[in-house]
Amino acid sequence: MTVETPKRGSLFRSQHIFVASTLTPIMLYMMFFTLVPMLWGVAITFFRYSPTRVGGFLGFGGANPFIGVDNYADLFSNSPNGQLFRISVKNTLMFVLMYLPLNLIVTLPLAVLIEAVNKRLKVVFRTIYFLPIVTSAVAVSLVWGVIYNPTFGLLNMVLRDFGLKGLPWLTDATTRVFGIPLPMLCVLVTYLWSDMGYNLVIFIAGLQGIPEVYHEAAIVDGANAWQRFRYITVPLLRSTLTFVIVMTMLSSWQVFVIFFVMTGRGGPSNLTRVLVLHVYEVAFRFQEMGLAATVAMALFLIIMVTTLIQLRLLRKDWEY
Amino acid sequence: MINKILSRRDFLRLSALAAGGAALAACKSGTTATTAPAQEQPAEAPAAGEKITLRMWSHQNVSFVTANEQLVKKYTDANPNVTITYENFPYSDFITTIQTSMAAKNEADLMEMFGSWVQSYAKGGTLAEIPEVLMSMSKAQDLFYAAPLDGYVWEGKLYGLPNEYNLEVGGVLANKRMFEEAGLKYPPEWKSWDELVADAKKMTKVEDGNMTVSGFDYVTGDGLGFLFWEGVLERGAEYFAEDKVHLNMISPEAEATVQWLTDMAQKDKVVDPLTFNGDSNWVGTSFFQGLVAIGYIGPWIVPEGRRNFPDFKDPWDHVSSPFYGSERKFAADAGWGKVVSPNSKVADTAWDFAKYCTEDAANARFWNVGTGTVPALKSVAEDPTLLNDINWLGPSLKVLPYGRFVGDLQDRDYIWYNVIQVRVTECLQGLHTVKETCQLMNDEANAQIDAKLANK
Repeated sequence: MTVETPKRGSLFRSQHIFVASTLTPIMLYMMFFTLVPMLWGVAITFFRYSPTRVGGFLGFGGANPFIGVDNYADLFSNSPNGQLFRISVKNTLMFVLMYLPLNLIVTLPLAVLIEAVNKRLKVVFRTIYFLPIVTSAVAVSLVWGVIYNPTFGLLNMVLRDFGLKGLPWLTDATTRVFGIPLPMLCVLVTYLWSDMGYNLVIFIAGLQGIPEVYHEAAIVDGANAWQRFRYITVPLLRSTLTFVIVMTMLSSWQVFVIFFVMTGRGGPSNLTRVLVLHVYEVAFRFQEMGLAATVAMALFLIIMVTTLIQLRLLRKDWEY
Repeated sequence: MINKILSRRDFLRLSALAAGGAALAACKSGTTATTAPAQEQPAEAPAAGEKITLRMWSHQNVSFVTANEQLVKKYTDANPNVTITYENFPYSDFITTIQTSMAAKNEADLMEMFGSWVQSYAKGGTLAEIPEVLMSMSKAQDLFYAAPLDGYVWEGKLYGLPNEYNLEVGGVLANKRMFEEAGLKYPPEWKSWDELVADAKKMTKVEDGNMTVSGFDYVTGDGLGFLFWEGVLERGAEYFAEDKVHLNMISPEAEATVQWLTDMAQKDKVVDPLTFNGDSNWVGTSFFQGLVAIGYIGPWIVPEGRRNFPDFKDPWDHVSSPFYGSERKFAADAGWGKVVSPNSKVADTAWDFAKYCTEDAANARFWNVGTGTVPALKSVAEDPTLLNDINWLGPSLKVLPYGRFVGDLQDRDYIWYNVIQVRVTECLQGLHTVKETCQLMNDEANAQIDAKLANK
């Protein structure tokens, strides 16, 4: 039997037409609604730009003058914005450094445990742990806000039942646990509760991709459960781990809603002011879009550098 | 219950979807003769026969929308050649919509704007100046109270007309049940803050080291700022520095005011600033949960409280609050009013409608009754029959002549919420001394003012 191959040129031309006709609208959409705003965002970092002031062409110039790198210099200056920016970086970094390991410590063992139970229960557990992910972040934050309420919150009610004194969990600027402000820890716990289902499901998928033969071989060799986890599961999950670490780091640098709802303007005493909250305030409360775009650009650079470092450190040269 | 509510404007965000409104309540009360818009006095019609379409924007508070819609209908009935396209936005989107559309120069012809924002927009050239022939400054000063009007003035020019006198001063919420249980006179007639605090101490409750009832809760985002300005003014000082641009927050009067605020929390213990503050047990909700005996907040909370807490059984009122010294003096925000876009092609009609809503006494009264707000127009506020329609405004109406606009703080929200609220709350919580607090406030506020001036 012979297979008739179409003429090369005509096939390629039709392929090109198909590709062009399907991709062009999406590309145009992406250009107008993603690329152009991004470039606009970069451009306004070089202007003292506020929509409350009348500018020239496209809003630039006039009362929104070109100022070179002044906005970038402001981030390192002693101005109110510079100080708040550095506080925000410190708080966000603290949050990221606590959240990432905490998330991994909770989700990975939990995923292994869930993977070990029978199939029906596995589905039940997976659903329960994933539920917070599909719940509105605002709703989650409001509910946890009530739990933390100092007067009628569930947490303090339980403490009082045990004869302990309740705490103003989200508004106490004085109490620190291992140097971490209490409100920051409270938000961290809430965020972990609401976000851990995502990584859990990814880890479960990763675990299901590990061939059973490796575990069986380890059992034959006399490895116990911990040794199998430490020397089989974790190394073979490296691709999944890389993905989870990078994505978790990305999302936790950009955390916003939960802080916005639970602690308002980064209170108490700016102890929970994170970077995206700062961007929001500078842009829409203080009406300095150029400055806000500069902070957003700094956030972009921070995320890019940390992601590249992570990818480099977690690089592997083998597959299974 | 939502606890993180710092200011009236934040409250608007959360109450935007609340059902009903003071508008409907007021309209139902059988006083329609005095509250109906002035049908009999139609505004001067724009050029006859010319078809005009006007776009108007406001935020989405139910009572505001209802009042505006009715005024729009009356105006367009009287001016059939005018069509007003009225759009409203959730409060949280309203500011961003205005700002982004201003950048694109496609904002509405007429916008409802909070008076304390007006100067920052006016100085940026994004608002139209009202033509002298339509409203002179002297006429405006005769018609409106200084506090709301001055927010609409920039460099001696008028950039809008106020509907509302935004007020946090002059009255407090009082829980009658708690007064009676403590054997106190109700309604209270305090002659000084000391008398108020003495009553508050008797109503404060602490169980197992936790404050369960605050006798007097004043630790709010708005409250601390207004009390600070009022305290400085009534002690005979001025919070603006000599250059009238920077702030002087380290004067002996400023320190005395912060000391007084601190003493109420630390010595008199009428409020626990860790559990009752702008971010937790906010007075606008905690009062209606029976957690606060006396709450420092403006009269705007009354219709909101009635609407949002219908199950709250304790009898309560908004009663007169005392002042310091011999004469009441206070600073107020300029409230909601109407402004016009400089890009509007129908600016004359936009101003005509703005005047129709704000200058005409019957229409202005209709708007205030409908929205439950304090009138900016003197003739409306001075009419004793107004209390037939807004019966809770009595304490507030008494103080209106004594207020002044807070002034151009360059960045009102930063100084209010990021400086005064944060630093005074910290002081109340014992993190700083009074002197340190004043110095911190002074440094931070003036640094921000300098930064804003550099951005001009």
